[in-house]
Amino acid sequence: MKNFNHINAKSLEEAIAILSEKNTVLIAGGTDIIPLLKDTVLPEYPETVINLKTVPGLEFIKEIKGNLCIGANTRLTEIAGNRTIKEKYTALAEAASKAATPHIRQMGTIAGNICQLTRCWYFRKPQNRFQCVRKNGNKCFAAAGDSRYHSIFGAVNGCLAVNPGDLAPALIALNAEIITTKRIINAIDLWETGYPSNTVLAKNEIITEIQITEPSSGTKSTFIKFAVRKSVDFAIVNCAVSVGKDSARICLNGVAPNPYRAEKAETVIAGKKVTAELAEKAGDIAVADAKPLKDTAYKVQIAKILVKRALLSL
Amino acid sequence: MHNNEKINGSGKRTSFTHATAQAQAAGSIEAIPATVKDFRCPVCSKDFSGYPELKQHYTEDHPDAVIPVTVSLNINGKDCEVLIEPHWTLQRTLQFRLGLTGSKLMCDRGVCGSCTVIMDGRSVLSCSILAVECEGKNIQTIEGIAANPKWKPLVDAYCKWDAMQCGYCTPGFLVSAKSILDKNPHPTDEEIKEALAGNICICGTYPRHSTAIMEAASIMAKEGE
Repeated sequence: MKNFNHINAKSLEEAIAILSEKNTVLIAGGTDIIPLLKDTVLPEYPETVINLKTVPGLEFIKEIKGNLCIGANTRLTEIAGNRTIKEKYTALAEAASKAATPHIRQMGTIAGNICQLTRCWYFRKPQNRFQCVRKNGNKCFAAAGDSRYHSIFGAVNGCLAVNPGDLAPALIALNAEIITTKRIINAIDLWETGYPSNTVLAKNEIITEIQITEPSSGTKSTFIKFAVRKSVDFAIVNCAVSVGKDSARICLNGVAPNPYRAEKAETVIAGKKVTAELAEKAGDIAVADAKPLKDTAYKVQIAKILVKRALLSL
Repeated sequence: MHNNEKINGSGKRTSFTHATAQAQAAGSIEAIPATVKDFRCPVCSKDFSGYPELKQHYTEDHPDAVIPVTVSLNINGKDCEVLIEPHWTLQRTLQFRLGLTGSKLMCDRGVCGSCTVIMDGRSVLSCSILAVECEGKNIQTIEGIAANPKWKPLVDAYCKWDAMQCGYCTPGFLVSAKSILDKNPHPTDEEIKEALAGNICICGTYPRHSTAIMEAASIMAKEGE
């Protein structure tokens, strides 16, 4: 790693003030940013690293008027082990318990998990070997290169790399709201493939809290992850579903540059009793719009089956 | 343990037993420097008598460089102070400032678990933690476990069941094992596998670990009675 200034932020205001003026990055759990700095992946190496762990009052799980509120610095183990989340927001607890390894779950925070950068190997190649569209270049190297872990739903802003997060689909399926220092963003609108980030957050904007409205009674949710290894690996495809009396939300991740909400499949399920045929039909419709690359046809099959399995396991 | 006897350079017979390993670990904890003695400039390798002089040297000679900082750490119950640059990881600090070589650097990307340490009760990866962020934290390394007689059954069980081959990943596994035994004195096979899921062993010793840890757990439970 190259040298940088390190500042322990005492408050969000202090962190925002420094973020606005210099070339800076934020660190909380550090499990994504430290490897990024070690490999010099970011287009501009930061001058300053701001530690958010020292900001008080960002680590909590509370229920306020039935709504679940999770502080941005809450670690994944706490979310995976929390009884309320396990009972009412099952998909989120399962997603948090399946992300990465036990050690990383004890370090990584929820806000860090949803803001992590893509795992595309062209983007992550050490020393910025590939000046791809995410680094202000003019092409996506996966289009002509090895794209076996890339998008099956086409490119966004010219980029074929997929969003790697496990918590993202769970938050979308549960219709979460992301509260930042500037505004409230609905989970589905948070992710956007840009330069080089994965989110719509402004440079001086920090996530403070994640809120989820209590699901109506009888709503069940679950999360399934398909990866090469049970531990450590990022998902090849993962899927979160939440089915209530008259509504359903299905979200896939690892299949497109942003988490992919299968809205057409949701209408098939909404208000009906989930049977084997209906789940199969939902799976087919969820991937009906897929335009796989030459190496990613297999992911269409996985996505289809994951939707079916997730619906049947409710 | 006569089969382990070796003849050292001076011709004196020594044997490498648990007692010698424990003494070695205790010795390395004892040898942790409590205060910073060398104020060496990392840019030009000049030595200074104290931190203010080093700071003065930076403002004069390296105005654009990042000034090293002093950080107070608590390692295995011992308070110490180190002079590091802000980008140093905890693993690098342990190895090159405090002489604790037990937390191994392997993948350096937070994947393999060989650098696991226990920080404030959580088993975390020291290669992915900045040492400047560890100020005031209670850190336990493999040396602390090896030096503590309480954990002898765990080390013995690892030796007995041969839960290692090349041994490079073993310190990380032992720290993770200690961490799970702290939280759950009677873990099941499934729970151990889950807790060790972040440690990677290329020799493939995985099945031995749960056997060894479960045996150590039952011995420690008997000792505790």
